[in-house]
Amino acid sequence: MDNLEKDITDSLAENTNIISAILGDSADINKREFSFGQLKGVCFFAAGLANTDQVSTIVRSFAVFGEHQDASGNRTIQAISRSLILNTSVETKTKINDGIKGILSGDTLVLLDGYKEYLLVETKGWDKRGVEEPSTENVVRGPRDGFTEDIRTNTSHIRRRIKNPDLRFDEMTIGDKTNTSINIAYLNGTVKKGLVEEIKSRLSRIKIDGVLESGYIEELIQDAPLSPFSTIQSTERPDKVSAALLEGRAAILVDNTPFALIMPSYFWEQLQAPDDYYNNFWMGTFFRMLRYFAFLTSVLLPSAYVMLISFHQEMIPTRLAFTIASGREVVPFPVLFEALIMELAFELMREAGLRMPKPVGQAVSIVGSLIIGQSAVQAGLISPFMVIIIAITGISSFAIPSYSTSFSIRLLRFPMLIASGTMGLLGFTCAFFMVMIHVLSIRSFGEPFFSPIAPFSASEHKDILVRVPWWAMVKRPRTASGELRRLGAGQKPKPPSTSEERHEGE
Amino acid sequence: MKVKITNGMFVALIMTIIYAKAIGVTQGSLAREIGHDMWIATILGTLQGIVMMILTAAILQKLPDQNFIGFAEALLGKWAGKIVAFVIFLFFLFSFGPIMVTFIYHFKDYFLPEAPIYLFIVVALIVGIFGGFHGLEVMARMALVGAFAVVCLNILLLTGSLSEFDIHNLRPVMEKGFIQTSWASRHYDTDWALATVMAGMILPMVKQSEKWVKAGWSGMILTCIAITMWPILEAAVLSAPVTAEYIVSCMHLARGAHIGIFLHRYELIMIALFSTSSLIQIMMSLYCSAHALSKIFGVKDYRPMLIPAGLALGAFGYWLVLDHLRAISFTEKEWPLISLPIAFLLPIILWTFGKLFRRKLSRS
Repeated sequence: MDNLEKDITDSLAENTNIISAILGDSADINKREFSFGQLKGVCFFAAGLANTDQVSTIVRSFAVFGEHQDASGNRTIQAISRSLILNTSVETKTKINDGIKGILSGDTLVLLDGYKEYLLVETKGWDKRGVEEPSTENVVRGPRDGFTEDIRTNTSHIRRRIKNPDLRFDEMTIGDKTNTSINIAYLNGTVKKGLVEEIKSRLSRIKIDGVLESGYIEELIQDAPLSPFSTIQSTERPDKVSAALLEGRAAILVDNTPFALIMPSYFWEQLQAPDDYYNNFWMGTFFRMLRYFAFLTSVLLPSAYVMLISFHQEMIPTRLAFTIASGREVVPFPVLFEALIMELAFELMREAGLRMPKPVGQAVSIVGSLIIGQSAVQAGLISPFMVIIIAITGISSFAIPSYSTSFSIRLLRFPMLIASGTMGLLGFTCAFFMVMIHVLSIRSFGEPFFSPIAPFSASEHKDILVRVPWWAMVKRPRTASGELRRLGAGQKPKPPSTSEERHEGE
Repeated sequence: MKVKITNGMFVALIMTIIYAKAIGVTQGSLAREIGHDMWIATILGTLQGIVMMILTAAILQKLPDQNFIGFAEALLGKWAGKIVAFVIFLFFLFSFGPIMVTFIYHFKDYFLPEAPIYLFIVVALIVGIFGGFHGLEVMARMALVGAFAVVCLNILLLTGSLSEFDIHNLRPVMEKGFIQTSWASRHYDTDWALATVMAGMILPMVKQSEKWVKAGWSGMILTCIAITMWPILEAAVLSAPVTAEYIVSCMHLARGAHIGIFLHRYELIMIALFSTSSLIQIMMSLYCSAHALSKIFGVKDYRPMLIPAGLALGAFGYWLVLDHLRAISFTEKEWPLISLPIAFLLPIILWTFGKLFRRKLSRS
């Protein structure tokens, strides 16, 4: 591997041997030797990664060149690359390492006899998944395109949305063995001061053999590594990333995954959906409120129910208490045990439904929810009210747009349940309080996670609990730098007020 | 990076650290002493509290980087600082008694009568140490949430009790005379004493020292507004004699609150909101006493001191809460005798020394 750091020599045979030795006899690495007149050369490329048509074109170019030139030595390699190679990107290099990386990224390395430099021609052309609607972040109104596994396709999605020269993609490579391409996307002049430097500094600290998904990066750079909450937002949606960039944040795109990372991220954003911004602001606000309610229901409902039934029955309205009691009459288990079993069963069904092939998964869900649930109630193992509580909790957790947040909630539910089921109101309150302390203590790239509620920032409240109309969202969030005004003056639409104005309009 | 909180957070901390005990336990004591004029005593107490808060802020503005302990050390030397730290530790040690009375009697007497007292102490200490460990910034953020909880709690109570409001129960005003009402305000003074001594410890960590005085008095006034509603409602809805019968009189008022026929009991929601203030009291007592201990023993970081401070405070709280009679007797008799000299005299002494050693102060 010492050869990797070396420059190539002017001997074609020697160079070919070195590169062949480095790449070994791997079945997917192709070597195409050619000899046209006095011109001799070798092309190295990876089958499946490189577009073979383009490789053929390169070889054909050399064929024409070789037939019409007596000697190639009187031309510099730069001249050859300029006049001969038709591909969009071609570089001249000397280091063997660069060439190897190029081959493994889908480029074609061209060695020519008698030259101390080689050509690295961009011939990337592997099979890609088409652009599809993101499966984890569906919207009713809004763009349907999602990121794919190809990083260039993903950057193009963002570039298509922000046609601005200030949009930058800074490239890094992480993973000693995988050499995974990572792009840091940001809007120069708008991004929060120091954020890009901080991201680069955190990324450059990563020493890992391979990065197969952005989750690796997320775990290695986030502020609260032990927290169940994710302080970096992951998304498959280019519009979400573009919106974040316009607000002065940055994104990390990782090759081979459709999930981009947005930072800094706030707690409240995990409960916001892209539709909030595309629909009427009344609808946006209503559904946002509904999601906050769903979040609270999802975290607190089972523990509140267990707490009330186990310790504070007097707090339940009398008729409701009778209804619950009649349902629980035949149930042999304590309510905490019943709730834990039901929660675990629900998680099991969800996990099974997710892992099974789609048609079978649906069947598992139906069998689980309808048949087992109904049978358990009829057998007197579970009370009907508990089934309702767990079902409402499950539905509420489905209403949370961020998949990682719904995971956090599922994890938090169990300690909350145990605390409430063993210590009643004391356990419920103190467990919730400890979760709150934790949430309030964590940061996302220096920004308090629970901001702008605590610490309170009045100027940010146009897009937190409510979503005000676009014409009222005059300024960017305070994290952005540069010009904070995002909207021109007097953008609130209004009909012509006088009959003359109306007439002029016509 | 040195932790700094905003003045708004400081105001929220003042509100939440006073609120929990002042709305119930204190009002019960006031009702036993001056009947339905407890709301006047609360206001009179607030006026005294405003003066002491302004004095505290004004003293520390002279040396904005120092708390009471640092101020004494800068003026009178290392040992003076240690003495002040010891006094502050004692203050928070004994304050933990009434704080635990408030916390435990709310939960135990009204919701979990069969749970052992040590469970409440252990849980309170775990939460308190957890919060204290995360530091002032997190506690201040929690106080913002707590201030919101206070507003919600007041609205809920007002909604549920206004229908039974009888203004005749508030008359005649100042029945026991001004002197006795003023004297009774000492019970509320013990509540704001927590806020002023806390301010003496945390003000250097509050941004914009020029706004400390304003934040201090506005915090006291806002707290008074949030609290005074309770004695008025307790007197007008429950009547003073009934309020006087209970250690935790606010719970009796909360129990009686109802919205329509279906929501006839919702004190559970109210107690959940109330607990934010109560738990902030616990966290802040542990935080300040750990700070004082770290100064006494010359330890740079206060965090290792949270455990010994927690053990000391927890042991005292447990001993006090075990016996209702002892608890209420300490809260009404001994606690004012301990807290008020510290709350009044400590700032006055420091202010006097500040005047006497003006040159040294300006050099510092």
